[in-house]
Order: sequence, then structure tokens, then C-alpha cells
Amino acid sequence: MDLAGTVAAVLERGVLSSVIARGGGLRVAAVEDGVAILEVTGSPGAVLPLVSRIEALIRVAVPENTGVRITGPGAGPPGSAAGSLAEQARRVLDAEINPVIAAHRGHVALDSVEQGWVRIRFEGGCQSCSLAEVTLRQGIEPMLRARLPGMTGLADVTDHEAGTRPFFSAEKR
Amino acid sequence: MEDSARPAGARVLLLVPARTYRAADFLTAAARVGAGLVIGSDGALPLGGLPVVHADPGDPHRSASRLVAAAGPVDAVVAADTPMLALAAVVAARLGLAHNPVEAVIAATDKTQQRRRWADAGIAQPAFRIVPAAASPDSLRQAAARVGYPCVVKAVSLSASQGILRAGDPAAAVAAAGRIRQILAAAGRPWHEPLLVEEYVPGQELSIDGLLARGDLTVTAVFDKPGTPEGPTFEETVLITPSRLPGHVLAAAVRTAGQAARALGLRYGPIHAELRIDDRGGQVRPVMLELAARSIGGLCSRALRFGGGQSLEELVLASALGRRVSPRRLPGTSGVLMLPVERAGVLRAVQGRAEAAAVPGITGLTITIPIGQPVQPLPEGDRYLGFVFAEGQDYQQVERALATARQRLRVVIR
Repeated sequence: MDLAGTVAAVLERGVLSSVIARGGGLRVAAVEDGVAILEVTGSPGAVLPLVSRIEALIRVAVPENTGVRITGPGAGPPGSAAGSLAEQARRVLDAEINPVIAAHRGHVALDSVEQGWVRIRFEGGCQSCSLAEVTLRQGIEPMLRARLPGMTGLADVTDHEAGTRPFFSAEKR
Repeated sequence: MEDSARPAGARVLLLVPARTYRAADFLTAAARVGAGLVIGSDGALPLGGLPVVHADPGDPHRSASRLVAAAGPVDAVVAADTPMLALAAVVAARLGLAHNPVEAVIAATDKTQQRRRWADAGIAQPAFRIVPAAASPDSLRQAAARVGYPCVVKAVSLSASQGILRAGDPAAAVAAAGRIRQILAAAGRPWHEPLLVEEYVPGQELSIDGLLARGDLTVTAVFDKPGTPEGPTFEETVLITPSRLPGHVLAAAVRTAGQAARALGLRYGPIHAELRIDDRGGQVRPVMLELAARSIGGLCSRALRFGGGQSLEELVLASALGRRVSPRRLPGTSGVLMLPVERAGVLRAVQGRAEAAAVPGITGLTITIPIGQPVQPLPEGDRYLGFVFAEGQDYQQVERALATARQRLRVVIR
């Protein structure tokens, strides 16, 4: 099996079901100069929170691989209009979203904008909140899509497991 | 009938309680099946994006009116978790959608009603007595003596093994009842809620998940519970699917679960049934422990994956939309470890996560209680520390992976 095949097998065994469960897809586009280039489909938010785990899995199973790069399908050139998109996104977050989310001690910060993907980070009461996904997909995403026609996708890059004061905590019922 | 994969254009009213593990999985599922969503929730903030309607499960009739007025046309109403089940039935009834009778859903959340209805229907279950709240210790001892020792004392309205204790003698039964009453008070349950005292049934425990359509049960998953707890508390820790039980035992268990669901009056939607295989006296008899009108709780459904990469939540949505659901499990064995809280205190750290995640076969590890939060073990506790998922070629591989991962985790509670 070549290096790309080995990496693909590692992903399939170790992480692909989690990615699919989150609404995304992941495939090995290439392995070049020891760097695995992984292409994300579906929701980028399905993969980004798993990147460190993906890197760890590949590092353990394929020691000759030295790095991982995540790309999206059909994305524009890196950085195209990123500055203006970032400014627009930040404006919508600050003016329309954060004032509402503050009612739950929450805050949304713009993490980065790259190739049309807006990456946000939940903070305060939103970090590890059991309803964060509802806020993201029913509230923030449609609002940003309506305001930012250049947005390709919205990804939540929050480390939710590190949250210490979620507004709502899940219970097994 | 259409296939379950593409209910294009469908619109679902999804009722999401604030404290659920399952919001993300249902939202993902809706996106994957192409269903538009209206959310009803007691917690979500209306941000002005897609519709989010305030819904209070404690006030189902007013909430139902609000949802019916605000949701617009929907093709199905789905409760993402237990607290929204009754409200979902009320709303579906008002909208004229296929649904379970409200009283059947309520019966399924009350262990005394379950026991009574199953007794009437001749469903195999533990011998039981219902002990009123005002009962004296003597009455409790008599009830326990009638079902025999060891017995199990249960809160009737709690779940996830909260408020359940095994008692080996009369003094232990009275002590268990007192402790469970304190748990009920802390949970804000009504003072008049009775307790259930029932026979302890030894034997392997399993859970059956399925989908009802007009009363017919289609099984989606059967999980074995290796290391079935024997008390005094009843932590669910490891679940592995598919089951290793012999085919005829499994068939009998599935039959019993379907009969139990119908005896409660349930006709539609997901069920999660828990049974034991009573092997006393050389018999092999499936015995109903409990049944809920929802799919498996926590994040456990992530251990399941069906043909086309479908999740259990996708099947639940498809079924609610009246689509034909043919659950075809992907080959292989999968399992989940629910990390129990082993002592009371404040969760300070969960160390060794990278080492646990690196165990071959481990496919996911999620800690769901934030660091710094107080935790309690069963029977008082109502949460698990987190979930570890594994996949493998066979049962032993998955069981070993989960056990090894658990050994590598060091939970610091002080």
C-alpha cells in the first residue's frame, strides 16, 4: 500500500465515522513531501475540531509523514477577499449576534477567514454548551449567510471540552 | 414508499431540551437527510436566523399553542430527548400528524405505569410492588419481602440508573428508600411520588433500539452490556453491538420489547428497551426492565452507523417523516464506554486522553462534563464523565480497546 493509501486506512479506521457523524467527509487528496493533504467535504466544522486527533493518529501510524494540511473542495485562491470578508463577519458578530448571546454569558469570536470559510470560536457560556450547535446552525450560520454572500462555509473551531462554564450542560435522560 | 435517504423538501419540528447531548447529532442528521428544521426549545436563543420557538415542556398545552402558531407547516414532530416527548405528542396531535397517544408517552416515562400495563398485558418483568410516598418502613419491608431479597428499590421518574439501589435485606431496603427519597427531593420531584420495589433479576442485560411504525417494531440496534452490573448501583458502562446472544434468545427479546412497547400504547417513533435474560433454573427468559419512547441516550448513538453512513438520528427523522426505514448496520463490531463518576467532588482533570485515544480501535473520546464542575456518583449522579467509542473486527477487540482506553484515563476528582 502506498503512503496515501496507508493514511486513508488510518483515517477510515480511526476518525472517519466521527467526521461523518458531524456531517462532513474527508479524503486523502495526496501525500507530498511527507505532508498529507486532506480534502474536506460537507461541513468544515465536522473536521476542524478533530484536526489534532487526525494529526496524532497519522503521526503514530505513519511516522514518515511529517505534517497534515486540510483543504476544501473548489475553494478559491488562498486569502482571496479574506480581509473584507473577515471585517464583514466581525461586524455581524459584534453588532447582531454577540449582544443577543450575551444573555447567556456567551460570546462568539472570529478565529480566522480562509478561502471563504469563516471560523468562529465560542466563548463563555457558549463554550461546551449543549445547545451551541443549535445556536450555530439555526442562528449564526443563516444570519452570516444572509449578510455575507462570499462565505463558503462556517466552521466552529471551539475546543468545547475545555469549556468550564457552559450555560447549559447535557444530562443523560 | 420512498427511500429513507432523501426526504427532500420535508420540514421537521425538532423539540430540543436545553440539557441534551443530542442537539448536534439531530441537526447534523437533518442536514444530511435534507430536511428543513424548526426548533422548539426551552433554551435556545432566538437569533433571527432560522426559526427557533420557545417551548417549555413543563407547560405543554401553552407551548403547543405557541409552536403550532409559529412553526408553519411541518411534516413531522420529533423530540430530541426525553423531556420533550410529551410535548411532541401534544403538538403532533394538534397538527394531525402520526404520533403516539400522549398518555402512552407519559406512561413510558413512569415506571409504575410501565409495570402495571405490562402486568395487565402479561409481559415478562420482575415481580414488583408500588410503595406510596407516605408508606411506613414496615410497609416498605413488607413490599420487599413479597418480591424477595435481593430486591431493587427504584425512583419511578428518573432515568440513566439514577435513584436505583439493590438491597439485600430489610434494613438495606429501608435505607435505600430513604436515600432515594432524598435524591427525588433534590431533583425537584413531587413529594407524593411513589417508589418501586422489585425483584432483582440476575442475568445478562441488553438494550434494544428500534423504530415503531403503526405498532410494528423495526430493530435498529441491540447492544450487549458485558459486565452487567449487579448492584448496589447500576452503572451502565460498556455497550457493544451487535449482540452475541444466540439467535433464538435475541428473537425472544425483540418480541418481548415490541409487545412491551405496544402494551404501553406506543405506535410510532423510536424506542429504547432494556431487558435482562433471566437464566435462573436453566431457563432463558427475556425480562423487561424499562422502556423509553426515544432512542438510546447520551452520545451512545454515535457507536452506530448504517448503510450509506446514516446515523441513528437520520433513521429517526426518516421514520418520523413516514419514510421506509431499512436499517442495515455496517459490518464490524462497535461499542461505547460511558465513563462513570466514581466518587463525589469537583472534576479537576481527565488525564491520559491522548494515550486513550491512541489505543488501536478507539474511534472517539469525548469528555462531556466541564472541568471544575461538581460531580456525584450513582445513585445520586445523573451524568457520565464522557464517552469513548471503539470499532473492530470482533467483539473481543472492541471490548479490549474500551478496557485499555479506560485504564489509560486518569480522572482527578477532589
